[in-house]
Amino acid sequence: MEYEISLLTIMGISIIGALSLNIIVGFCGQISLGHAAFLGMGAYTSAILTKMGVPFAAAVLAGMVVAAIFGILVGFASLRVRHDFLAITTMGVAFLFLGIVRKQEFLGGEMGIAMIPDPGLGKVGYMILVLLLALAVALFSIYLKRSWMGFTFDVVADDEDTATLIGIDVSSYKLIAFAIGTAFAGLAGALYAHHVKFIDPESFNFVESITVLSMVVIGGAGSVWGVIIAAAALSLFPMWFQFIDQYKLLVYGGLLCAIMLFSPDGLSGIFTRSLANIRGRESNASG
Amino acid sequence: MGAKSLFKCFLPVAFTIALSALSALAMTDSPIKIGVNVPLTGFAASDGESALNGAKLAVDQINKAGGVDGRKLELVVYDDQASPKESVAIATKLIEKDKVAVGVSCSYSGATRAAAGVYQAAKIPYLSAYAIHPDITRAGDYVFRTSFVGEVQGRAGAKLVGDLLKKNRAVLITLNNDFGISLAAGFKEKAGEYGVTIVNEYTYSIKDRQFGPIVAKVKADKPDVIYATGYFFTAGPLVTQLRAAGVDATIIGQEGFDTQTFIDIAGTAAEGVIITTSLGRDSKSQETQDFIAQYEMMFNHKTDMVAASGHTAVKVAADAIKRAGTTDSAAVRDAIAATNLAASTGTISFNSLGEIIKDVQVQVVKDGQFHDFAVISDAKLLAPPTE
Amino acid sequence: MLFVNLCMQGLLQGGIYALIAIGLTLVYGLLRILHVAHAGLYTLGGYIAVIVTNTTGSFSLGLMTSMLAVGLVGMVIYRLIYQPILDKPPFVALIASIGLFIALEEIYRIIFGPYGITFAAVPLQGAVNFAGTYLRECEIAAVLLATLLIAALTLFTKHSRIGIAWRATVTDPEMSQSFGVDVVKVRYLNFFIGSAMAAGAGSMVALMNNLVEPTMGSVPSYKALAIIVLGGLGNVRGTLIAALVIGIAETFGTIYLGDYLDRDSIAFAFLILVLMVKPTGLFAKG
Repeated sequence: MEYEISLLTIMGISIIGALSLNIIVGFCGQISLGHAAFLGMGAYTSAILTKMGVPFAAAVLAGMVVAAIFGILVGFASLRVRHDFLAITTMGVAFLFLGIVRKQEFLGGEMGIAMIPDPGLGKVGYMILVLLLALAVALFSIYLKRSWMGFTFDVVADDEDTATLIGIDVSSYKLIAFAIGTAFAGLAGALYAHHVKFIDPESFNFVESITVLSMVVIGGAGSVWGVIIAAAALSLFPMWFQFIDQYKLLVYGGLLCAIMLFSPDGLSGIFTRSLANIRGRESNASG
Repeated sequence: MGAKSLFKCFLPVAFTIALSALSALAMTDSPIKIGVNVPLTGFAASDGESALNGAKLAVDQINKAGGVDGRKLELVVYDDQASPKESVAIATKLIEKDKVAVGVSCSYSGATRAAAGVYQAAKIPYLSAYAIHPDITRAGDYVFRTSFVGEVQGRAGAKLVGDLLKKNRAVLITLNNDFGISLAAGFKEKAGEYGVTIVNEYTYSIKDRQFGPIVAKVKADKPDVIYATGYFFTAGPLVTQLRAAGVDATIIGQEGFDTQTFIDIAGTAAEGVIITTSLGRDSKSQETQDFIAQYEMMFNHKTDMVAASGHTAVKVAADAIKRAGTTDSAAVRDAIAATNLAASTGTISFNSLGEIIKDVQVQVVKDGQFHDFAVISDAKLLAPPTE
Repeated sequence: MLFVNLCMQGLLQGGIYALIAIGLTLVYGLLRILHVAHAGLYTLGGYIAVIVTNTTGSFSLGLMTSMLAVGLVGMVIYRLIYQPILDKPPFVALIASIGLFIALEEIYRIIFGPYGITFAAVPLQGAVNFAGTYLRECEIAAVLLATLLIAALTLFTKHSRIGIAWRATVTDPEMSQSFGVDVVKVRYLNFFIGSAMAAGAGSMVALMNNLVEPTMGSVPSYKALAIIVLGGLGNVRGTLIAALVIGIAETFGTIYLGDYLDRDSIAFAFLILVLMVKPTGLFAKG
């Protein structure tokens, strides 16, 4: 069972990571191409603190706080620049994060950090913890989406200018979205660090940012269930396609492209459309 | 017609024999599985392919010679994209689903370091073929490395420069990753002892192919030797650009340079480049000669040091299982620890940490080929870390 | 002399960046797409140049074939990938483009092997030394090609009918359409020219490195995005200046900032600084 346990753990971590980005991209409509940097901040903070003897729970919490602080800073950037400029700025943040970590002795530099302490829960215990946290983040996302704040996010995502016009404090809401989203990213990163027990700059490179973003986009930005399904599926993708190992990345790239071409609103779009089709047929039949 | 009827006639007999053999020797007849994690896709795919080819050749040689104790060897291979995240899941799968006797990493440091923890926890022996990170063997007593830890080779480089070549003004051009940094650290540690002054050190990223700024600065530094770390794809352009700018200092490289592709890229600029490595091209050893010849025949590509490392790791595993006489993991571990084997990368044994003990081969590029230049076998200098 | 040499290396690097980034900014200016896969075409340019040169023995033939063929591939990519999703939110095209880029790199690896390919006999390797400065012949050729292509592009857009139509479409697609400009034709032309320029850059880099690998495009792909944003998305002159500035900043940064920041993040550090002061880049359009 250990193999399945390890897969479920990675899956849970991926779901938390994707849901965290979904709050920024899906709910609040702010594009981010640098999410892996925040995963990295959580991972590095928690790894270093636990190695210094800080208890696991406190270190993970600290990871979330550090990620959220930097998240708010990037949030400020989102107040200055918009759309494609914001996309490239967040990408720049991710590259800068890596560039700095690579050169810092106390962060392990290129060598990374090995022998990250085990939280001592056992493999099954850790899996249960990760899955419970994933569930909590999912429930929080659903709650947030239906709350008054969720509707406000919607308005900001749809049209900032109108939002300002009707008296919404757009800046605060953007900052809140970045703070919540990056805090959860920090959580996912910290959980990753204690699962794999080794982190280096390459673990949080640009490709990781894109992987998380594609989970959100393929799931259907804003749809909690869609994003969960996409994150679960994509995190298992390398294992599913082991039988064509050599062509795995080719299939992955092709799939990203194809999904965008044929269903640009992701899985949730496919779902909604087919639901509408069925309903349409039913109403035709009855009418 | 004849062959066919003969076959028909013998089929039931063969079947009965096979069946009885199967029930009696069910365990010993199945192949011995060796698990491999290797980057087959993504940025590390070229090293992945070489290392895996080396491992495949080793299995082919062993099986042709009758296998290990009458059982065939079989590789179970998964692509890890050189990613720690993938390699943890793969290691777990190899151990639990595929029930491999020994694991071999044909991958980079991050992936190897992460998988090492999984193998150690499951108490299955794990051999790192060419990953260089010092923490890999520190995962525990089931983890071994069949190539040099970076510092050791860096120290050999310092001896080569100061003692053998008698050069004393060195510039370091360091690849900014675990490989380059640990090599440079070893070089700097011993440079003083051999009277070598380090004039300057520059770092570059693994993605760089254009070294214009560094070359311009090195030219102004006027060193008489350059200790450049890197892989063939960075070293080829670097050496070309240094020579084109008129820098004529001796260039010292390491095992990352050790492939014919390096010479293909740098062309005449590669002439005279000296490297420290594990593969002696003119070696008298039968094992090494066979490896070089058969690799070229099997894959239609000139061999390199990474391939030799993959080859060596599988040979070490097979040799240990043979000596242990069983695939019981504790017995195999002890057998690996007691290894004394003539492999394609030299005669090797392990220290208490699981680090390799062997000589450093020094090769020089002459007429577009690597050739023997010297062998460094100073046991004290080359002593790998023990903790 | 070191200073002069560093400046020359910076301009050389900047020229290569400019060739890649101008194609990218043209695509953005016209279609509002961040065309990451552009760097995949740059790599393809390198492959075709090496293969044709090795079969025919002529690098200039290799260069021309490469630019022509990759220009056509660019048009095909526009037709198959981008045209169907032009009216979708911008990140749809971005993800599709990233997916395409990953797939292209893998296709190169599967077809041409993971080790990369080299010239059988690599031309233009001699160096020209002048008063303590030096440049390799291939580097001079790269600078010449960059200057030539950019000058040709400028003349073309300023003085030819179709060039003027093109510029009009970039400025205001609807208005120019109402004046009878065939917008679709302009888009195809745009992809042809942009991709051909990337192929030119790829061919010259292949010559300078004597190596084309599947992942050759990975650095330019993202750095070129930083450059076009810095140049004010869609602005060709701004992109040219930004490319040269980044080239020089990186060259000096490699030597003097190497201990604090790696070369590839210099462009992004610069970018973030500029955007915080001027949120629409150094040279905003209009």
